Amino acid sequence: MEPLQIQIVNLIGDVYAVEAEDGQKIFNSITKAFTDKQKVNISFQNIEMLTTAFLNTAVGQLYKDYTEEFIKENLSVSDISDSGIVSLKRVVDTAKLYFKDPEAMQHSINEILED
Amino acid sequence: MSKLFTIDNSFESYQSLISLYNENSNKVFSEISVELCGFFSANMSAALGAVLDLLSDGFNTINFDYIRGDVESILSKNDFLTFYGRKRAVDIYGTTIKFQKLKPTDGKFFKSYVIEELLNTHVADLPRMSAGVKEKIIEAIYEIFVNAQIHSETTHIYTCGQFFPNKNKIEFTIVDTGIGFKEKVNRRFNWNLSSEEAINWAVQDRKTTKIGIPGGIGLAVLSEFIAKNKGKFQIISDDGFYQFEANGVILKRFVGRFPGTIVNLQFKTNDPYNYSLKSEININDIF
Repeated sequence: MEPLQIQIVNLIGDVYAVEAEDGQKIFNSITKAFTDKQKVNISFQNIEMLTTAFLNTAVGQLYKDYTEEFIKENLSVSDISDSGIVSLKRVVDTAKLYFKDPEAMQHSINEILED
Repeated sequence: MSKLFTIDNSFESYQSLISLYNENSNKVFSEISVELCGFFSANMSAALGAVLDLLSDGFNTINFDYIRGDVESILSKNDFLTFYGRKRAVDIYGTTIKFQKLKPTDGKFFKSYVIEELLNTHVADLPRMSAGVKEKIIEAIYEIFVNAQIHSETTHIYTCGQFFPNKNKIEFTIVDTGIGFKEKVNRRFNWNLSSEEAINWAVQDRKTTKIGIPGGIGLAVLSEFIAKNKGKFQIISDDGFYQFEANGVILKRFVGRFPGTIVNLQFKTNDPYNYSLKSEININDIF
């Protein structure tokens, strides 16, 4: 079965995918599709501006409820710019670490106090 | 009477604005007279506007008793003084980026403003910019605006910028009157960090106060861009001062506190670095 296509520009009604609130709309659609056992392709076609805040909410928080293997198997992206790929990869790597050790943030105080 | 002398992006300039706030913050139903006696970097209208708005909350009346001629001219062109009953002036040289007071939910207005002020109006001013610099500048401005939306719990966000063609730079300032870094970080983790420590923690890669949503990338990405661009960024929050440049970080403490957060961004427009290089990341190997 072909993956469900989520056109970001259509879902958020904007070529600027920048606000966390808009990222939440994408996240909600992806999780709904996953619940319905559908694979998803997110299309960044015509998106002119991206922030990490948007990507964290849209994609990063998926790693809270789904394993890396599940996401690899069921999620793909298309029509994304080169700078968008770099940002998305960074968001994904950060999300994996964030959910791997939820206590790490609490303990990270030592990093600045030891400076 | 509060006199402000040189107001640019120096530590002392921010201290002057903090002192202006702290000296007048207990006043109610009073007249607060302000004199702008020296150079005033137009982008700092965002910080002054935020301070004066908070002082107005005490039913105080703000009067500009004196403004140096050239300063009055530029602050009339960037719309700042129209918020205080003065007439708007036309910006023939197109170096101003207008003063705006927005609600955190005004993301769509902010977009129009950024496109109008940074992409359309000043196209002719920025011919020397290498590929991708303008996009990186706008992306950086957005990361800061969205941070203020998400984290600050502010009622308004104040923004203003200024082109300095002779110095090949743009300064852009985003100000909120929310809870500040110290309160946000300490409340989230039950820590007891100073303002400088809280800011210094938050700017590190992958550090976030959000619960259940990863983050903490925006300020790190900004630092990396600023380092390449040879620009500068400063965060003033509560009594903390943080400054990042390619050659290092400065942390300092103010006397008194700023009631919110100022982020001042300084970008070089003659940046030769090519930010449009092709990514080596395989699109099928992201997740």
